[in-house]
Amino acid sequence: MNRNLLWRGLLILAVAVACFALAYPPKDKINLGLDLQGGMHLVLQVHTEDAVRVETDTDMARLIDLGKDKGAPNLKGRRTGDSQFTITAPTPEARDAASDLVSKYLPRWKVKRQGDDLVFTMTDQAVAEVRTGAVNQAKQTIDNRINQYGVTEPVIQATTGDRIVVQLPGIDDSERVRKLIQSTAFLEFRIVRAPKGGGGVPNRDELIKSLGGTIPDDVEIMDGDQRDRETQAVTGKTYYAVEKRRTVTGRDLSNARPGQGQFNQPIVEFTLKPAGADAFAELTGKNVGAGLAIVLDGRVVSAPVIHSRIADRGQIEGGFTEQSAQDLSTVLRSGALPASITYLEERTVGPSLGRDSIRNGLEAGILGTLLVVITMLLYYHLSGMNAVMALVLNILILFGGMGAFHSTLTLPGIAGVILTIGMAVDANVLVFERIREEMRAGRTVRSAIDMGFERAFTSIIDTHVTTLISALFLFQFGTGPIKGFAVTLTIGLIASIFTAVFVSRWLFDLVLSRRRVQRLSI
Amino acid sequence: MELFRDTHIDFMKYRKIWIGISLALVLAGLYAIFGPHRLNLGIDFAGGTQVTVGFRQQPDLDRLRHVAEREGMGAAVIQRYGKVSDNQVIIKTAATHKGEDTSRTRIVAALNREFNPGKTGLDLNQTGADALGAFLVANDPDLVVAKDPAGAPAHYSAMADAILKARHDSGLFRSLDGLAHIPGVTPAAAAALQQKAYLGNFNVLGVESVGPQIGGELRHQGFLAVVMSLLGMLAYIWFRFELRFGIGAVMASLHDVVVTLLFFWAFGLEFNLTTIAAFLTLIGYSMNDTVVIFDRMRENMRKSRRKPLIEVMNDSINQTLSRTIMTSGLTFLSVLSLLILGGDVLRGFAFVMTVGIIVGTYSSIYVASPFALLWESLFGVGGRWGKKAATVPGRGGAAVNERAESRIDRTGSGSGSGTAPRPAPRPARRRA
Repeated sequence: MNRNLLWRGLLILAVAVACFALAYPPKDKINLGLDLQGGMHLVLQVHTEDAVRVETDTDMARLIDLGKDKGAPNLKGRRTGDSQFTITAPTPEARDAASDLVSKYLPRWKVKRQGDDLVFTMTDQAVAEVRTGAVNQAKQTIDNRINQYGVTEPVIQATTGDRIVVQLPGIDDSERVRKLIQSTAFLEFRIVRAPKGGGGVPNRDELIKSLGGTIPDDVEIMDGDQRDRETQAVTGKTYYAVEKRRTVTGRDLSNARPGQGQFNQPIVEFTLKPAGADAFAELTGKNVGAGLAIVLDGRVVSAPVIHSRIADRGQIEGGFTEQSAQDLSTVLRSGALPASITYLEERTVGPSLGRDSIRNGLEAGILGTLLVVITMLLYYHLSGMNAVMALVLNILILFGGMGAFHSTLTLPGIAGVILTIGMAVDANVLVFERIREEMRAGRTVRSAIDMGFERAFTSIIDTHVTTLISALFLFQFGTGPIKGFAVTLTIGLIASIFTAVFVSRWLFDLVLSRRRVQRLSI
Repeated sequence: MELFRDTHIDFMKYRKIWIGISLALVLAGLYAIFGPHRLNLGIDFAGGTQVTVGFRQQPDLDRLRHVAEREGMGAAVIQRYGKVSDNQVIIKTAATHKGEDTSRTRIVAALNREFNPGKTGLDLNQTGADALGAFLVANDPDLVVAKDPAGAPAHYSAMADAILKARHDSGLFRSLDGLAHIPGVTPAAAAALQQKAYLGNFNVLGVESVGPQIGGELRHQGFLAVVMSLLGMLAYIWFRFELRFGIGAVMASLHDVVVTLLFFWAFGLEFNLTTIAAFLTLIGYSMNDTVVIFDRMRENMRKSRRKPLIEVMNDSINQTLSRTIMTSGLTFLSVLSLLILGGDVLRGFAFVMTVGIIVGTYSSIYVASPFALLWESLFGVGGRWGKKAATVPGRGGAAVNERAESRIDRTGSGSGSGTAPRPAPRPARRRA
């Protein structure tokens, strides 16, 4: 065997071995997409306006507080936009003082006079910072919650437009995961003004009457579920008049755990951090005998009576199942979401559907390969064998490439493999037809083969490039499974240029080097 | 074996008829896209929720539609999915402004009311691993809680996982009989489950929800991808061949997309993301035969510079016929396998590719070349709106030969030859 032939053969062998090593064992090296292994794919929108609004409220309250001691008492403020609020001052001096306070203590606000009022607008940079911060915090919180739930290899990423993409392989209880992620879990402890003595009343109007006909400025009406004591089923609504002031919130929690209450019903036990514990002690100490409303996401979960000053721990009970107590503890532990979240897109594939897809893909692949191989052998005889061997190597390189890039195999990706099988032999056909033509024109076998490869080369490049251009745009514009298709198609096509031109040629040269060949089986 | 050995078919002879047929098909295709009976848009583009549900017994579609109407989801589309023996159904609802998660909850609640009426407690067909584990711990059939309180949850949680894994094969249990045979499940636990839990009649196997916002974005992106792809092809073919061939090739691709879309619409298939991927691939692939023919044309034009373009085209097509048919045929075989065995998810994709390959082969012969000819006769050198013919015979007499329309041939030397001296025209090659 001449040296050139030997080196080329070794190169081909090296490529084959490398690709085999990269792709074996397939279970470890090739990632299966969510549509094949089962799992959830979610796209969430973080409503960062909520976070901006909270900052606006907080700063406005702070300004009014500061004004009390620093020459601008009795300021009245109201929020007039997500990142804007208006202050009305009783005197021009107070107004100027307020303006000064802002430049000293609240630098991220711009001030403008509008008549007798001052309009405060947050700087664009500050707004952007708040938004990014909210998305990052949301991502972190979701990450915490998912981790506690126990998913192997979750993917949680922030993307443009204040969105977060979540991918959870192997989950089949998508309802529960969604509740877990979406719960804002804003916990507050508020004192109940009425009814006295704990609990709530079933009638909202009665409640207002008991307050003297109108709702006082520092009180708001909240509702909660009324439950049957034994079955814990919801039977209606109860109403509470709670103070607006919130001193202790979920941020002060240091831990939350599911536990068992007096009657063995599931409850959530919590402990508070030191600062929060102090505030809690003060709150409960001053209000012994009143009800303490435990408010979750704006609804009252329960309102037990404060028997004595409570320091740093407590319980939340109210119609929990073991699972919901567990989930609430998880959510409280991982922190509250800084903004509300809506679902833009969900794709959940149960594992049985995933298996069906794999099975279908494999069956189609086997049938397709068989048909192609049989046709090549029938039409091109032994040269068909040449094409088949090149095809086998092509598939091997395809999977090796996927292993090397850690790409994910999706169902459209399997379609891409099948398509590659059909298209890879196309390149062989171009060469073989050319060889046939040259032989008919009278050339020797040797020169017909040479001319065949040479002349067909440009056609092979052109046809592959046009399909590659399509694959490129598919990759650019496509979502997950489609990207998988673009990847397999691209790798397959590039591999096919190598196998159709280099490997196929080598196989012909190998056959020709053995003995003088008069006729070619093609 | 060799087909198409030495064919001499005059492909260009009836080209006006073929162009006419193609034009009619394209118009029909445009009507399909823009006309009143719209394409069946999947939720990827229209937004909405699609739930795949498996049932223990073959569900009656009419009964399901009745349920949907009762729940105020009368516009829901309900179809069978997968093999008939799988008892699977797809329920598709349109996008709501309330958020897609409400659609899914409503569907499941409605199905529960209809197919599991009055049942309370643990549904073994819908439960998740944690609820199942908690149930087992609460009932403690193996009596481990007293002996080993710390390890009991883990013991039952492993059992729950094993049970769910067994359920994963088909998505739901058809009967409770096989429970005790699942490895890792003790007979006592199986008995407890059989007594205290029940087996619901369905399970949700998959959900796809797309909010209207994302639907709109995907539509926009899909459209962009198609347009950019076509432009990319045009640029490449222009660069490798000439503009007129580029135009011909792109026209052929456009034709393929529209005509395939016509068939797609006629069969009522669902147009979603995977379908657009198929069309994009088709655009790229249908270029292949066109390129092969153009390659041969370029070679023949170099060889015989004096031949009229129309003859060159005919010869080239005949010479590459075997190639064209074989390459298309082989790819056709592989996508046909996908169409037959590939399953419901890829059905639309496989259909587009299968029909597209057939249409594409046809268009490479009967659309690409005639269009290139047409372009040339209108805008080319010496054409109706093109530059005047060169005073010196340009690319090997091609300037003269491009005006190969039979009309111009009849009039002899034609209009654009100018006053410059030219070699005496060879005896006019009368077209047969």
